[in-house]
Amino acid sequence: MVGAADPLDVALAEGRRAERARLDVPLQPLGTAYDMGTAPDGTPLFDARIFSTREFQRNPYPYYRILQDHYPVFHDVQHNAYYVTRFEDVTACYFDEAGFNTIPKGSSSGVLGNTQLELSGIEHRRRRNIYGRHLIGKALDRRLFAIRELADELIERFAGPEPADFVHVDPATGRRTIELGQAFANEFPIRVVCQVLGIPDDAQDRFFWWYSAMMRGLGGSDTAHEGITARQDLEDYVTELVELRRREPGHLIDDGGEIIGLDIISELCRSEIDGAVMSTEEITSNIALIVGGGGETTRGAILNLWYLLLQHPEQFATVVADPDRFLQAFHEALRHSSSVGGQPRQNSHEITLHGVTIPAGSLIHMVDFAANHDERVFEEPERFDIDRVDLYWEKLLRSGYDSEGRRNHMAFGVGPHLCPGAWISQQETVVGSQVLAERITEVRIEAERMPTDIDGSLAPIGTGAIRELWISFEPITS
Amino acid sequence: MSRSADRPSLAVEADPDEGERAVPSRDADERGYRSYEIYQRRRITESSPDILPRHLWSDRYLDDPYGLVGALREHGPCYRDWAGNAFWVTRYDDVTSVLVDDANFETRTWRWSFDLHRRGRDLGRHVPVMQAEADVWDADAADVAERLVARALGAEGEVALGVADRLAAELECRVLGLDPDDWPWFVSTVGRLRNAGMADPAGRASALSAFDELAARFDRLVDERRGDDGADLISVAARLELDRPVGGDDIAATVVEADPQTLPGSMANLWFLLATHPGHAERIVDDRRLVVAGWLEAVRHSPPVVAAERWARHEVERFGQLLPEGARVICSVAAANRDPRIFGDPDTFDPFRLDLCQREPRGHHRADGLAAGVVPALGPPSLFPAVPEDRPRSRYARVRDVAVVATGALLDRVGVPALADPEAARPSASRLGGPHRSWELVVERT
Repeated sequence: MVGAADPLDVALAEGRRAERARLDVPLQPLGTAYDMGTAPDGTPLFDARIFSTREFQRNPYPYYRILQDHYPVFHDVQHNAYYVTRFEDVTACYFDEAGFNTIPKGSSSGVLGNTQLELSGIEHRRRRNIYGRHLIGKALDRRLFAIRELADELIERFAGPEPADFVHVDPATGRRTIELGQAFANEFPIRVVCQVLGIPDDAQDRFFWWYSAMMRGLGGSDTAHEGITARQDLEDYVTELVELRRREPGHLIDDGGEIIGLDIISELCRSEIDGAVMSTEEITSNIALIVGGGGETTRGAILNLWYLLLQHPEQFATVVADPDRFLQAFHEALRHSSSVGGQPRQNSHEITLHGVTIPAGSLIHMVDFAANHDERVFEEPERFDIDRVDLYWEKLLRSGYDSEGRRNHMAFGVGPHLCPGAWISQQETVVGSQVLAERITEVRIEAERMPTDIDGSLAPIGTGAIRELWISFEPITS
Repeated sequence: MSRSADRPSLAVEADPDEGERAVPSRDADERGYRSYEIYQRRRITESSPDILPRHLWSDRYLDDPYGLVGALREHGPCYRDWAGNAFWVTRYDDVTSVLVDDANFETRTWRWSFDLHRRGRDLGRHVPVMQAEADVWDADAADVAERLVARALGAEGEVALGVADRLAAELECRVLGLDPDDWPWFVSTVGRLRNAGMADPAGRASALSAFDELAARFDRLVDERRGDDGADLISVAARLELDRPVGGDDIAATVVEADPQTLPGSMANLWFLLATHPGHAERIVDDRRLVVAGWLEAVRHSPPVVAAERWARHEVERFGQLLPEGARVICSVAAANRDPRIFGDPDTFDPFRLDLCQREPRGHHRADGLAAGVVPALGPPSLFPAVPEDRPRSRYARVRDVAVVATGALLDRVGVPALADPEAARPSASRLGGPHRSWELVVERT
């Protein structure tokens, strides 16, 4: 360094040091936020660069708490977006259909194509109503037998008398080891969805790739290219099928062999929007939406639910003893760790919220993760507790639930854009888990095959769903 | 939640030179975000596994943006980036068409990103202010450069901080007519403003207080100099007849909005390129008239400002996309300046290439029918570079001339420069929006 004693050189060098500093966040103990500094008035500062760190992915909640407590509307200048994190605010925004357009135009269409996801008001309702009723209510109840049959069929492969190749059987003890995703959760939801869509079994091998790639490719994410490729492959596959269904509609049948109605693809082929039938492109987009939305999310829900239950053996024992309580456990797992982090929105007009003025057309992230861990609504939100008294878990309601100190969770959203697959996803996870619990016992997480955290314990779920869940068990022989 | 009636304008203050070209803001009631679909599904060819959206906001981009934005340029000329909620424009013709399109795209100032856009007025486009800067640079640059080069070579030979940055800083202090005792204070205070990344809250808080400190000090200086006939920028600005008197806020705004990166950054990058291309450097050492060709090629090949942001004033359809009102458009200079549609063998540093304009760019960044390297942040290229005698040269020309003078001073002393550690000298950036340049250039003394 030239003339370090020269005050001007010192000032320049000091500026250089500040300029060259990059953010490097070491992993923190769970539940503790990295110190991002404090304002003179004592308010903790928030550095938006934290969002892209590994630390945030595994330990997001202390950071969301800073946002909720001090920056309920946070403007991330660098990423040109706003974050809304409190439960009440997210709820209000989801219900305000006029004020907030749904997913910003083009954010998901890159992969999915033209779907109702990006529409609002009457345009949204017209499209959603075409097949929404297939996934809900009586039509769904009459299909429960098929969900149970499918679960049985898949579970038989690893819990039955002749385990498949992917099952590792300990010759000494007879204990079996599987990766639950590969063995069950990857395939199960999509086989259910294939049935209601009316897609033949022969395509099911590719479905896992289709839905996982498309889902991961949404929102211009890092895997967008893979998502677009998968979408193209799906399109190549279903185009012929759609043409066939236009001529020969397929039907859903109940366990008595009676016709419930058309399968979803046939229904889409027959339906008209604004007086015209849908093009094959439009139908494919809707199929992509159902496949993407119906696969990855439920896969994550099943794995997260079992991961959490197996880490809380007393709660696991409770649901095994009383399988009806899997419903409650499902909703608590979704509140605690859902597979979907939130929804983007764009405001139709300028709004001012918590003193922050958001210009019309801004990108606003409604953070469901944060809302589900809002201390204003859920006591000790990081605690997984199927007995918690502040969570509403009964009948799924579009209106949400707010009575006697109990609230709905936000994993499915609320309001007009409430996840249309919420009901079927619930049935899949609950029925699938009930069948699974009937067939296996002495279940343990194979910790040495699972990722661990800085203290050596099992890694937290963090944002999103766990990728793999290795378990060992003993089959129940009937 | 309330619908606010009073919408603050995000637009910067009108440019005095822009006058009637400024597009009047529409009535607030007319505004509103459209709800019908405005998109088209992307095709596989428009995406690429070569680039992940995260990369554009990662250290990889900071270290070397060229490969990443090159992939964008070839796969999607207007890339919708959801990670940064922006549209990336990457081809040369597209980038320059946005940069000159004031009717559709507005520039938001440094102050805007720090919520300071109501603080002060940028006086940088007023002719007397430009003249004050030009006079000092013309009079002092050669002597200061000479002295700093001699000083650096007499010590450890570090010329990036020791010459390039220090030269820019000294010239800035002289332009403002600051007392030399105050130079370190000024450099460290203004450094807090300029070095703050948008996302870093502590840096941001420090930047805000630094702005206040600058404004307070300049307030006193403006008062002291209001009556005198000094030629420094503060005295000249104090004499401007504007709708309200010039204050410390205005001087601080003028200082922070003046591009601080291109002058030192372009010198450092040029010296790095000369040191790593000794064949070219030799020709330039032999014929000093070619230094300017070296600088022009350096700012094309390795521009210190690698991207410039613009914001759509209203909904506009460009590059096959509908850009909504308020859309953030990132014009990638790094991609444009290496667009093979415009420059042959664009990744090669060649000061003697025949497809690069050797004059100050005009209008659409071209003069003599040839494209010039895009150099943002210095103001739009003048339509009339051959300025009348009573106007100072453009900032582009002034920066170029100082860089050429300083480079001449360096080459006088060392001939073809050789670097002690070329790897450490490789250009990089430290933060998004920060300069992409060489930071440490230790020249071996001959």
